[in-house]
Amino acid sequence: MYLVPLSLARRLGPALKPLRALVAGGWLQEADTDCLLRLVHPALRLKRVFARVESRVWVADDMLALGLRTNGNAHGWRPGQHVRLYRELDGVRHGRSYSLTKAEPDGRIELAVRRQPGGRFSNGLLERLEVGSLVELDPAQGELTWPHEAGSVLLLAAGSGITPLLGLLRHALAQGFAAPVTLLHYVRQRRQRAFGEELQGLMARYPNFQVRWAISGEAPAAGELAGRFQAAHLAGRPVHSLLACGPHGFVASVDDWWRAEPRAGGLQVEAFTPPAPSVGGGEQVRLRFARSHRELPGNSAVNLLEQAEAHGLRPPHGCRQGICTACTCQLLAGGVRDLRTGGLTHGPGLPIRLCVSAPLGDVELDL
Amino acid sequence: MRHDRQLTAAELDSFGAELDALRQRTLDDLGEPDARYIRRIRAAVRLCCWSGRALLLLGWFPPTWLLGVALLGLGKILENMELGHNVMHGQYDWMNDPELRGTRYEWDIAGPADFWRHTHNHIHHSYTNVLGKDDDVGYGLVRLFPEQRWKPFYRWQPLWVTLQALLFQYSVAVQHLRLDQYVKGRMSRAELRPLLRQFNAKLLRQSVKDYLAFPLLALLLGTSAAAVLVGNLLANLIRNLWTFTVIFCGHFTERAAVFPPSVLEGESRGHWYLRQLRGSSNLTGGPLLHILTGNLSHQIEHHLFPDLPARRYAELAVEVREIAARYGQVYNSGRLSRQFGTVLRRIWKYRLA
Repeated sequence: MYLVPLSLARRLGPALKPLRALVAGGWLQEADTDCLLRLVHPALRLKRVFARVESRVWVADDMLALGLRTNGNAHGWRPGQHVRLYRELDGVRHGRSYSLTKAEPDGRIELAVRRQPGGRFSNGLLERLEVGSLVELDPAQGELTWPHEAGSVLLLAAGSGITPLLGLLRHALAQGFAAPVTLLHYVRQRRQRAFGEELQGLMARYPNFQVRWAISGEAPAAGELAGRFQAAHLAGRPVHSLLACGPHGFVASVDDWWRAEPRAGGLQVEAFTPPAPSVGGGEQVRLRFARSHRELPGNSAVNLLEQAEAHGLRPPHGCRQGICTACTCQLLAGGVRDLRTGGLTHGPGLPIRLCVSAPLGDVELDL
Repeated sequence: MRHDRQLTAAELDSFGAELDALRQRTLDDLGEPDARYIRRIRAAVRLCCWSGRALLLLGWFPPTWLLGVALLGLGKILENMELGHNVMHGQYDWMNDPELRGTRYEWDIAGPADFWRHTHNHIHHSYTNVLGKDDDVGYGLVRLFPEQRWKPFYRWQPLWVTLQALLFQYSVAVQHLRLDQYVKGRMSRAELRPLLRQFNAKLLRQSVKDYLAFPLLALLLGTSAAAVLVGNLLANLIRNLWTFTVIFCGHFTERAAVFPPSVLEGESRGHWYLRQLRGSSNLTGGPLLHILTGNLSHQIEHHLFPDLPARRYAELAVEVREIAARYGQVYNSGRLSRQFGTVLRRIWKYRLA
C-alpha cells in the first residue's frame, strides 16, 4: 500500500515547487529528494516522468496498447508525439521510443507496442509488463501536427507507423474536423491491422473519414489494396495535406511521390528507423578517448557510439538514433559527419551525439 | 626501495595486452549484481547521513550525540569514497542511470565536482606520480621524494601536512584554482574569476547546510544548535582525516615510484600501465576496510582500471598480482598502519634537503 493514491500524488505538483527551486539552486540533491518522495508514492518524482501501467489491450495479433497514467511531470504532451520508455535489464537502463496514441489532460496516455522478431525490449514489455508496474518516460518529442486548415487529409501508415497517425486522427475527429480524411494502412498480414475495429467504428461515426488497408504478404480480399506503397493506390483521392509514418524506406518512397509534382498542401513525414548506414567499408582512422587514455583504430563509416562500445567503453546512451542527446559528448579534436544529415562538425569543444556521428578523420573524444 | 625488472618493448606490449584483456573480461561480466551493489551503497549513505543528522537534533545527550557524529561521519566517508569518487570516475556509466552518471554527479564536499573531475580524473590519473605534472604529488605543500627540488618552505612540512589533513576537503577544493599560477602572474584575474565564482557557490552551499541550516533547525525544535554545529564539524573532521590517510597511502608509501616528465614522451599503452602499477600502493585488510576506503585500498587496480566498478578490484587484484610477479614488478601492498608509517617517514625525512 502506498501512502497516497496516484491521483492524489499528481496533485502534489505545485506543492513541490519550493523543492524544485532548492534543487535548481544546488541546495538539495534531486536524487535524495526523489528518494523521499517515493515514500509518498512510488511514481512521485521532482522532475522525472514516471507512469503506472493501468491497462493492456491487444489491438492486433502483434500489437499491444498500454494505458498509462503519468505522475504529473508530463507537460504539454500531444498525441502523435513519441516518448522513450525505460526498463532495466541486467542492471542496464534501456530505452525505446513509442508513439503516443492518446494523451489526455488528466495524465492518461496510451502507447502501442509492436512485437519485434528477436526484440528483447519490446517483447519484454508485451510479455512481462503487468498492470500496476511503474515505468520511466522521457519528455515527449516530435513535430507531427494535424493540418487543421487543410481541405483534405491523407494519412499513410506502414506497420506500426499507424500509432502516431492514430493519435492525431482520434484527436482531430473528436475536435470536429470536418474535411475529408483518408487513412491507408500498409501491413504484411491481415491480422496485423492494428486498431482495426476502432478505425471501422470511426468510419461509421464520421462520414468524412475513410480507412483502407493494403496487404503485401497475403492475397488481398475485396476492398483491400494489394502490395506496398504505389502511386496507383492514391489515384482519384483528394490530397491536400499528407502525413506519412513508417520505416525509412516507406517514408522515402512517399516523399519521392509527393515531390514528383508541385502540390499546394503540406507534407509531414516521420521515419521510426534511422537511415541505413552508408555502404562501403569506410576509411581507417585513429580514435582517441581522452579520459580513458586510449588510442585505437576506427572506421569512418560507423557511428562513434558503436565503435566506442566495441572497444569496451560504455558511454551513456539513449535512443541510439540521434534524438535523445543522452550520448552527447565533447569533441576535443578532429571532425565528425552526422550520419542522418551528412552535416559536418569540427572540434574542439563542440558537443556531438555519438550514436549518429561518424569520424571524418582522426578524432579525439572526451570519453 | 623497488627492484623492478626493466621490460623490453615487446614485453611491455604483451603486459599491456594482458591487462587490456583482463579489463575486457570484467566489462563483459558487469550486470545486475554491480548495479544492486552501488544502489545499496547509496542507500547506506542516505541511512547513515539522515539518521546521524536526526540524532544530532536531539542535543548533547551523550549516547545519541556520539552515535549521531559517528553515523554522519561514516555516511560522509561512504559518500565521498565509495559513492562519489567511484561514480565520478564513470564506473557506473554503463548502467545508463541518470542518478549515477559520472559527468553529472555532485558530491557532498566543499569542492565542486567539476573541479575534481579535472584535477583528479584528468590530471592525476593521466600523469600519475609524474613530477611537475601530477599536482597530487605533495599538492605543492609537501616534499615526499628526493627527486623533488628542496625549498626552505618544506622545513615546516610536518605542520603543513597536519593542517592539510585537518582541512583536507578544502585543500582538494582549492587545488583546481591554481592559485600559485595566479600569484606568479601566469594566470589573469579574468581567468580566475569564473572558477572562483563556482568555488564560492559550492563552499557557501556546503557551509550553510552543515553550519547554519541544521543548527537553525535544532533551534526551531528547541534543542541545542551548538550540539548540531559541533557534531557536523566533527563529522567533517573525521572524514577529512580518513580520506587524507587513504589518499596519501595510495601513492607516497616507501616503495612508491615517481617519474620524470620525460617518461611521457611517446609512452605506449603497456608503459602507461606499468607507470600506474609502479606509482600506486595497496592496503591489505578485510571487506570493511575496502568499503570505507572506496576500494582505494586497491589503489593499484584503481589506477590500472579507473572506470571499472571498484567492487571488482578485489577479484582483479588476484590476477594483477600474478601478472606483476610474472613480469618481475614489485606489487606494493601492506597493512594500513605500516603503509601510513612509511608515508609519515617520508614527510619527516624529505623536509630537509
